[in-house]
Amino acid sequence: MSDEELAKDLGPLAALTIGVGTMIGAGIFVLPGDAISQAGSLAGGAFVLGGVIALFTALSASELGTAMPRSGGAYFYVNRALGPLFGSVAGWANWLGLAFASAFYMVGFGAYVRNIFGLATGYALVGLEIPTVKAMAFGGAALFVTVNYVGAKETGRLQNVIVVLLVVILAVFTALGVMRAEPANLPESKGFGAMLSTTGLIFVSYLGFVQITSVAEEIKDPDKNLPRAVIGSVLIVTTVYALVLVTMSAAVEGGFVAGLPADEIAVVEVGRQVQGGLLAGALLLGGLLATASSANASILASSRINFAMGRDRIVTPELNEIHGRFGTPYRAIGITGALILLFILVAPISTLAELGSVLHLVIYGLLNIALIVMREADVDGYDPSFTVPLYPFTPIVGALASFALIAYITPLVQWLGLGFVIFAGAWYLLYARSRTTEAGELADWILSRSDEMPDSAVTAAESVAPDGGQYRVMVPLANPEHETDLITLASALAKQHGGTVVATHIVTVPDQTTLSHARDNVDELDDGEISILDAAREDAETFGVDVETHTIYSHRAFEEVFDAARTYNADVCVMGWGPHSHGRAESRVDELTSDLPCDFLVLKDRGFDPDHILVPTAGGPDSELSAEVARDLQVEYDSEVTLLYVRDDDQSEAAATEFLEGWASEHDLEDAELVVESGDVESAIERRARSASMLVVGATERGLFQRLVGGSVVMDVVDDVDISVLLAEKKRSRSLKQRLLGND
Amino acid sequence: MRDLLAKPLVPIANEADATATLDALLGRLDADATIVVCHVIEKAGGAPDKASVEQREANAQDVFALVRERCADAGVDVQTRIDYGTDVADAVFAAAADVDATAVAFTPRGGSRWLRFLTGDTTLDLVTTNDRPVVVLPDAGDDTDDAEEGVDA
Repeated sequence: MSDEELAKDLGPLAALTIGVGTMIGAGIFVLPGDAISQAGSLAGGAFVLGGVIALFTALSASELGTAMPRSGGAYFYVNRALGPLFGSVAGWANWLGLAFASAFYMVGFGAYVRNIFGLATGYALVGLEIPTVKAMAFGGAALFVTVNYVGAKETGRLQNVIVVLLVVILAVFTALGVMRAEPANLPESKGFGAMLSTTGLIFVSYLGFVQITSVAEEIKDPDKNLPRAVIGSVLIVTTVYALVLVTMSAAVEGGFVAGLPADEIAVVEVGRQVQGGLLAGALLLGGLLATASSANASILASSRINFAMGRDRIVTPELNEIHGRFGTPYRAIGITGALILLFILVAPISTLAELGSVLHLVIYGLLNIALIVMREADVDGYDPSFTVPLYPFTPIVGALASFALIAYITPLVQWLGLGFVIFAGAWYLLYARSRTTEAGELADWILSRSDEMPDSAVTAAESVAPDGGQYRVMVPLANPEHETDLITLASALAKQHGGTVVATHIVTVPDQTTLSHARDNVDELDDGEISILDAAREDAETFGVDVETHTIYSHRAFEEVFDAARTYNADVCVMGWGPHSHGRAESRVDELTSDLPCDFLVLKDRGFDPDHILVPTAGGPDSELSAEVARDLQVEYDSEVTLLYVRDDDQSEAAATEFLEGWASEHDLEDAELVVESGDVESAIERRARSASMLVVGATERGLFQRLVGGSVVMDVVDDVDISVLLAEKKRSRSLKQRLLGND
Repeated sequence: MRDLLAKPLVPIANEADATATLDALLGRLDADATIVVCHVIEKAGGAPDKASVEQREANAQDVFALVRERCADAGVDVQTRIDYGTDVADAVFAAAADVDATAVAFTPRGGSRWLRFLTGDTTLDLVTTNDRPVVVLPDAGDDTDDAEEGVDA
């Protein structure tokens, strides 16, 4: 067998039992009593409605799963399609949703333990009344968390046996019940409102199918087996739930279930009525196994979500450390376990169920939207072997139905759910945004069409874009002659910071031509850009730095540099400057240049030779940037660096030297040659430049770009020296006040 | 006789294991020896694994990076491979057969009987069910391991 076959060892039945095993415990062994009390004869309807909503999402999950069989499932698809803001929401919702659901299963488990051993409803401990169910739930949860922490592989296979046993027990229960069923027994309907809120409560019974996608990478032949398992598990459990609910309603006298005392388990008592002690015993055992297997599978699935979140840096990858001996993701499991234990202690069982439901409804809604985005953005390499029928109807209904059901959940739980969503959003903005790197297909799609999209959408996509904490050097390329020098400089900087070179070619499209037409007819417009990016890639790769290349079509080439710098999260932009570099900047220059999206380094290229770098400084933020660049080049090329300070006539030589020494050590350039001159600044620079090979100048506060592109006088010095000149200007943004008042 | 450690297959579980094993092994190799380091990803064989495969592959690469660094410092040729199997010992011997290794060389990972019971006693499997020589390397840190765990009395 190949490694691939060995690594993917979940067959169709195993995949199906993950789904069925996770779902069947909660739905049928814990909730029917509450459902019948709440919805009356429509309790079965509530389960069927839940199943239908789940089925729409199951279809979407199947398509996404066959296209991207990766660990992490629903979270992974949402993050990939909608970007890390929604990814954070989906990841946290999935993680916490599973923890709430597990806590709920364990409280159910506790009820079964209490019934089996005939324990009292509570006992006193140091003056406190401890409910037995919660104590047993706590103990059970601690046991199953430990099992997953230690990683006994036998539990996985046991799961398959349990699922088959459960289906058999429930089939016998249904068969015996149907023989006794009488329509007259059906309790009164409590109306559709009651049915919908019951659906919200029992929806926790439909979480399992999406956990199949979280182990998608392990499924054998996922093209076939994944959709079968996902859709099949929903169909199976919906059928089982419906039959069991009908049996429970019709096989015993009306009001029997609703009239049971709170400490008795409805399905077991109905079994006792239908057959007697044997069936009741089987159902007790079944409930014990079912709730345990649901919790066990959920704990396992949540560690996959954690892994996928850590992989994308939504949470710290430290969470994913594998235990040296057990081979388990012990930190993720430990934290999930602690959450489960906490939730068991603080929340009542129905709140746990509803929180599990509401968080999963959020994920399901987002999952359906993710599918629409993947289809509409026509993502490269998105090639699902299973496609949802009746697109776009199916995912639209799936998303609407999932979000709509949230409206029928208890208000307190709605608020808590909203709180979690806000928390996850804030988590992204405050923690994950500076760490994660992928913007998601939706943002890429919007930003690649920024001319056609409404400004608000573009701004929104930009303002939540991740910045990855990674150093990104963007190089807008226009003139092939300077390509090598620009990329060499950019690669040297990227290499020093362990960063990436982002080479962009901006193709100017005449106003008469639409951008989409331009994209489709690349060859007619310009055949230089493909080769310039190829050359850029080759040059950057010789430095061993990562390279990205992008072609951008725009009506306004110069302004596009700024947009691209934002889109690709550049930390610094290295660009050439010359009469033909990037077209003419038009009237928006003033507005543009008062906001610089990143640091800019503009190279007046007269051959790239970093042998001896001259850095004139007068302090200030822009000369800080020139110092940084000089230091990077010094490290990379072992360059000789000369710092030049031109003192005013009223400053003493000693004070000037002291300033320059301080400045040099502040910028880690102690080993540079320090030169203090007096007199005219420009002639001092020109004089010193004669023995240097490259001049790095910080732009003055007045704004380099305004003067460069506005065509006004540029520092004469740039033209008067005959070596390459690098102009450095720091990122800067106008404050809101400055924007409103319109001054710089 | 052919040198047993001319081309040993060295199963390594984690970074601590890598350090202990290489400490014991590198000094005992001839100049022209090659070692093949393998990390076995234990599969459940038809049930979800205890950790994601991708996660454990990434973990294996971290361990391999450490191994390559140590071997480069010692001037020893090293190959690395990831194997998959439901039984770690079986996968190790399959890998050894695959690369035609002269022996399987490993450091017992110690631990209490209780831990061995929980995690499976791979050491026992390696020395009892084999089809080629097995070299059990001493573990310099073994005493401290036992002292820390303190159960194996």
